Amino acid sequence: MPPVTANGADLKAAIQKYIADNKVMVFSKSYCPFCKKVKDLFNSLSVTYTALELDQIENGGDLQNALHELSGQKTVPNVYINQAHVGGCDDTLKLHTDAKLLPMLSENTQTYDYDLIVIGGGSGGLAASKEAGKLGKKVLVCDFVKPSPIGTTWGLGGTCVNVGCIPKKLMHQAALLGHAVDDSRKFGWEVPEAVKHNWNTMKEAIQSYIGSLNWGYRVALRDKDVKYENAYAEFVDPHTIKTVNRRGKENTATAERFLVAVGMRPRYPDIPGAKEYGITSDDLFSLPYCPGKTLVVGASYVALECAGFLRGIGLDTTVMVRSILLRGFDQQMAEKVGAYMEKGGMKFIRGCVPTKVERLEEGQPGKLRVTGMQDGKEVVWEGNTILFGIGRDAVTEGIHLEKAGVQFNTKNGKIYGNDEEQTNQPHIYAIGDVLEGKLELTPVAIQAGKLLAQRLYGGSQAKTDYVNVPTTVFTPLEYGACGLSEEDAIAKYGEDNIEVYHSNFQPLEWTVPGYDPNDCYAKIICNRQDNERVVGFHVLGPNAGEITQGYGAAMKCGMTKAQLDTTIGIHPTNAEIFTTMDITKGSGEDPTKTGC
Amino acid sequence: MALRPLTRLLQASVSAARLHTPPPSLHRSPLACPSLLSTTQAVPFSTSRVARFSFNVQDEADFKDRVLKNTKPVVVDFHATWCGPCKVLAPRLDKVISAKGGDVELAKVDIDNLQEIAMQYDVRAVPTVVGMKDGKVVDTFMGLVDEDILEVFVEKLSM
Repeated sequence: MPPVTANGADLKAAIQKYIADNKVMVFSKSYCPFCKKVKDLFNSLSVTYTALELDQIENGGDLQNALHELSGQKTVPNVYINQAHVGGCDDTLKLHTDAKLLPMLSENTQTYDYDLIVIGGGSGGLAASKEAGKLGKKVLVCDFVKPSPIGTTWGLGGTCVNVGCIPKKLMHQAALLGHAVDDSRKFGWEVPEAVKHNWNTMKEAIQSYIGSLNWGYRVALRDKDVKYENAYAEFVDPHTIKTVNRRGKENTATAERFLVAVGMRPRYPDIPGAKEYGITSDDLFSLPYCPGKTLVVGASYVALECAGFLRGIGLDTTVMVRSILLRGFDQQMAEKVGAYMEKGGMKFIRGCVPTKVERLEEGQPGKLRVTGMQDGKEVVWEGNTILFGIGRDAVTEGIHLEKAGVQFNTKNGKIYGNDEEQTNQPHIYAIGDVLEGKLELTPVAIQAGKLLAQRLYGGSQAKTDYVNVPTTVFTPLEYGACGLSEEDAIAKYGEDNIEVYHSNFQPLEWTVPGYDPNDCYAKIICNRQDNERVVGFHVLGPNAGEITQGYGAAMKCGMTKAQLDTTIGIHPTNAEIFTTMDITKGSGEDPTKTGC
Repeated sequence: MALRPLTRLLQASVSAARLHTPPPSLHRSPLACPSLLSTTQAVPFSTSRVARFSFNVQDEADFKDRVLKNTKPVVVDFHATWCGPCKVLAPRLDKVISAKGGDVELAKVDIDNLQEIAMQYDVRAVPTVVGMKDGKVVDTFMGLVDEDILEVFVEKLSM
């Protein structure tokens, strides 16, 4: 058996975990007759106990020393019951002869229906519940999708699978393929000029795939012995939830611990007609008809991605933006994302907010009129579909966190948690989009869920690292980023302490069709005070996600500019641009590509 | 008989879905997509010879009554609206069952609507077909199979 850990603090933490996780914990040695006596006693009483044989593990001696410091007892057996120190063999036997042992075993330990109840069957909730199930815990997952205002619902798996990453990337792919058909003519393919896109063919194929994923999740839960209820759960008290299924049937369940992973849903503006006639990303991917001429309101990544693929499949698309694009992202990159979309025929109405939505004609799609306000002047748009991408809100409102005593941000519904995803109630945890101040990304939630279960039930101490998480926005030209935006880097380190290297680049594949050699752009932000360590990585170009993932791993390893310079590029690729960057922003030199 | 690997089933379901698109439905949840909308029931009950011996299971009680308590052998077709191979298998099953002239019945279970039943019969991928006699499983297969194999399956069941 490998050593549990090396240093003293970790050893103590490991011991405390054994004590916390086990109702009856016996630190023992396999050859010790006193230890055997204690274990025999528990066996004769049919009491379940956990024994750690210190002579059979590599660092048992160190553990025994740490145990000495913790309990003040040097010898084994060293017995804990309900996390209280009982003592050695004589102490335990005396408790029994005094008839105090059995009451102690039944006292102070309520029995719960489950070890863990997970509220929310999205990426985070499922990851945590499967891991906890794998570690032998009794787990219940409650998942329930309240229909969107126009009535869309979906199956198990959460936002990413049903109305997020998965359908979004597939529709992005549909748009890219349309683009590729155009390019292909330059490469010799004699494709007829009139190629049409069929919305329903795309939608059905994507929905079929999602249907199979929903079922796959269901089977995976069963394989891990996790109980699943398609029911809406809300807290009744800190250890009890009430569930209501789709037929209105109510149930209650109790658990020792809870995990809240309910995620977020799209926000609607408070204007007439928004909920009646508007749709969001919750509806778009299963829309039973082609949305036609579409107005996308908002400039979140969700808004720009949806607008991007709708334009890409040939629809007349307009984006109405209140202020900036991609808030929170590097603004130079965001503007470049927008500029490329505009080149592709996207219309932008900047500095404008909608004030009302009216229906002119019913139909699939119908006809709408949207009125907006831009610089005090009225702007009118008419078309078929309005899609809101103005932000998302945590859906904690109905689950009665207050009854469990859990503190949350009343403005956005997000739950406060520490670096172990624990709320102010020690037995209630929160992960994923619902966690205040953390990243709203599926892989982050998955990692957090898995590691949380391993810490709670697997003796692990690994925490989720929320720093330098790579991500990509799947706009027509993809934007990948890892680490800090230029703005944040300046704010954190000061303008004089950072060096920005940048370069435009042209994908080789773009030369034959003759696209602009300066649409794609790469930028790294380095900390001059720390060996030019890369603190921000940004790339705008095809397959930016694939590029960013690899460099994200390098940034986890502390990548510096010098290391990038000694890395040999793969030619011809887009990613190689990062190995040959020599123009700094500070130099004022032009990073655009002019010749061949 | 050979079982198709899961991955192939899923791939097939996507490509075949283009040929057999279910009726457009805004709602995809079991709630909003009752089995009445399922494409497997394209043939009305009253007029078809096929339909006389086949039925869509409505709920768990219905499954108990018409499958578990059935005095005749029952072939249970676990299928899903999103599964392409299911849509290919369904008419083959209908044909083979109707050729038995009522000796064997065909019960169709939409796994998304009736998850608990599907779980109970260990349905991991669709289509999964289970042969039952007196409420007990006697044979099962997973994936798309040819008509002659179906005939043998049903024949064995009716012996």
